[in-house]
Amino acid sequence: MNRPAVSVFFRAPSFVPTFLMLFFALFISAAATPVFSQDAEVKAILKAIDEMNDFTGRDFTGVFTIVSDKPNEKQSAQQIRMFRRDDKEQFLILIMLPEASKGQGYMKEGDNVWFYDPSSRKFSHTSLKENLNDSEAKSGDFTKRSLLDDYDTTKVEDGNVGKVPVRVITLKAKTNDVSYDIIKLYVRKDRSLVLKQEDFGLSGRLMRTTLYPKYADIGSGKFYPSQMLVVDEINKGEKSQITMTDLSTAKQPDVVFTKAFLEQVN
Amino acid sequence: MKTLMIVAFRNLNRQKKRTFLLGGAVAFGILIVTVINGFSGAFSRNVAENMAHLFAGHVFVEASEKTPKGKTLDLIRDDRVILEALAAAGIPADYVAKRSSMNVTLVFEGNKTSQNIFGTDLEGEKYLKERLSFKDGGFELTKAEPRALILSEGVAKKLNAHIGDTILAQLKTVTGQNNVGEFVLSGITQDMGLFSNMLAYAHREYFNQLIDIGPEEYQLFGIMTANLAKSEQVAIRLNAALKERAQVFELPPVVPAPKKAAKADTAKADAVKTDAASTVASETVAAGTSSSSPMGSRYQKLLRLSRKETWEGSKYRVFTINDMISQIEQLVGVLNGVSLGILVTLFLIIMVGIANTFRMIMYERVKEIGTMRALGMHRGSVRTLFLMEASLLAAAGALVGMLLAAIVMLGLSIPNFGTGTFFALLMKNGHLSFSPPLVQSLANLLLVIVMTAMAAYLPARSAAHLEPAAALRTSK
Repeated sequence: MNRPAVSVFFRAPSFVPTFLMLFFALFISAAATPVFSQDAEVKAILKAIDEMNDFTGRDFTGVFTIVSDKPNEKQSAQQIRMFRRDDKEQFLILIMLPEASKGQGYMKEGDNVWFYDPSSRKFSHTSLKENLNDSEAKSGDFTKRSLLDDYDTTKVEDGNVGKVPVRVITLKAKTNDVSYDIIKLYVRKDRSLVLKQEDFGLSGRLMRTTLYPKYADIGSGKFYPSQMLVVDEINKGEKSQITMTDLSTAKQPDVVFTKAFLEQVN
Repeated sequence: MKTLMIVAFRNLNRQKKRTFLLGGAVAFGILIVTVINGFSGAFSRNVAENMAHLFAGHVFVEASEKTPKGKTLDLIRDDRVILEALAAAGIPADYVAKRSSMNVTLVFEGNKTSQNIFGTDLEGEKYLKERLSFKDGGFELTKAEPRALILSEGVAKKLNAHIGDTILAQLKTVTGQNNVGEFVLSGITQDMGLFSNMLAYAHREYFNQLIDIGPEEYQLFGIMTANLAKSEQVAIRLNAALKERAQVFELPPVVPAPKKAAKADTAKADAVKTDAASTVASETVAAGTSSSSPMGSRYQKLLRLSRKETWEGSKYRVFTINDMISQIEQLVGVLNGVSLGILVTLFLIIMVGIANTFRMIMYERVKEIGTMRALGMHRGSVRTLFLMEASLLAAAGALVGMLLAAIVMLGLSIPNFGTGTFFALLMKNGHLSFSPPLVQSLANLLLVIVMTAMAAYLPARSAAHLEPAAALRTSK
């Protein structure tokens, strides 16, 4: 089910129950010590973000169009279809465009991530930390993640993204299994939607900024980014704009999450 | 027999032009084949030596460990066990290098390039200091700068970077996390062509920080032996000594082909005779060096083991530079096969020419044969005379061909083609080098003589069967 995308920058908050609950939670926690209250608030925000990206109990699919810009290079476009089944930690990415990469795919099953190349008809091990087909996006950007499990909060500040007031939450990785050691999330104060994310390397240098200007209501109280802008902060001028369409949480056939599917779909 | 030899020689000398053409054809065939054999003989040795300089060692040790999530980390955390094994095996480490390495993307003012960087002891690596030739900057600058980077001229030009510039390096840690570091360009070496993007050096301590390993940890322990030929024996001894002290990756032994087994036995005789452990190691190394499998080099096979197996703690693998390039041996085999094919094809063509020429010779000498037979020469002697003539022709042609091949090889090895091309990997310091295998050259010589004699056999037999009276009656 795909509902119209909403601009999180310009549209008034309409997600009243969540807002009230958050407000209520904040009000209650104000009675506790300031450190505890902030900690609880941040945990609630991170939990809400995690839940927003958690499709346990259902499947999730969508078509992602990635338009990449690099200095002195022609703009390139690629299209992928993603299938996710969080119950079993499975996902499958099928590359549909460009023609040269058509039929390639990524498949995750448990801790294993495979890349399929139809020209050689072979699967090879890969990582969620790898860039997706020379774009600034990584396959891990589209998979289930748990900020609460993977990161510790190190700093919480107030700030703005455009005119929208946000909580700026700095997180440090608990584990080296994640792509970036430090991430900084700019989360709307009125609802737990990430407007901007900054990813830092182990050395503490900013490597990547991701903007989430639009979210789509995909039902069951869930919002999913319908547009992303990923900016490479190391290679100036390199950026990718990702548009998500045909988002759905409908049940997918089991065969979709198998190697055979990648082989047969070609 | 001596008389026959003299007559055969005189006959060849009688028709100088014909002898020159036939012998020239034989010489040309041998020339081509000897040059190819000479090139393939030096080919694998040159690649191995060049790669040894690249990686600073003939024999290497790596270690792998498993993370709690089952991922493999290639890392030497504590090298005491390697040093103990080295001492126990009595291996004189003429030169030891401890290096970390990672492929990075260097970024400078909008330019970027992929580059392998070695994190090494820039102060202590004596061999590196001797080998690097700087165009700008040098070790005096690296000493003062912990983030120093030495690049080759080609890469510095590509980035448009100069001494003192800060270059960004985008890389991944050993666990695959994204990271970025800053290097200060402190040395620009002579352009290394093909090797430029493989050879850049930084202080190991800073480099280790970037790839997220401890300052004393590293990834590759390299031992430079006295010469390349000793590397297999050293690897066997080190493998055996290390096996007594730690877990070691070993490929399952395979039964080598008889010829290869004999070769391996000769090469490894010293080590094999020592003890049972050495024998096991020898089998293991033999298993790997018989790299007939298309599944990659022995090193790649060892690496695959570390991805498949599970264990606790560090597990080591010992390998040689030959193991890293064992597929080159297959290429050398192909080259030798091709040269043999060329030899046989050329000589099949030449055989037709020789057979026709000797048939003509027979008709030209019918009266002469009749006279010799009338004077009491046996049929067998007539046949032997013809065969001897052909063999002498082949032997002389082949020897001239080999001499010409030596001149050609000498001539080709004089020009310096430089190290700036892909072919530098196949050359010795920019020069083509040749090493024709003696046994193969002798075999080629024998093959040519046999084939020429075979070509001349039918005309020789016809000549031997001529009736003296009929031959003498022939008007021509």
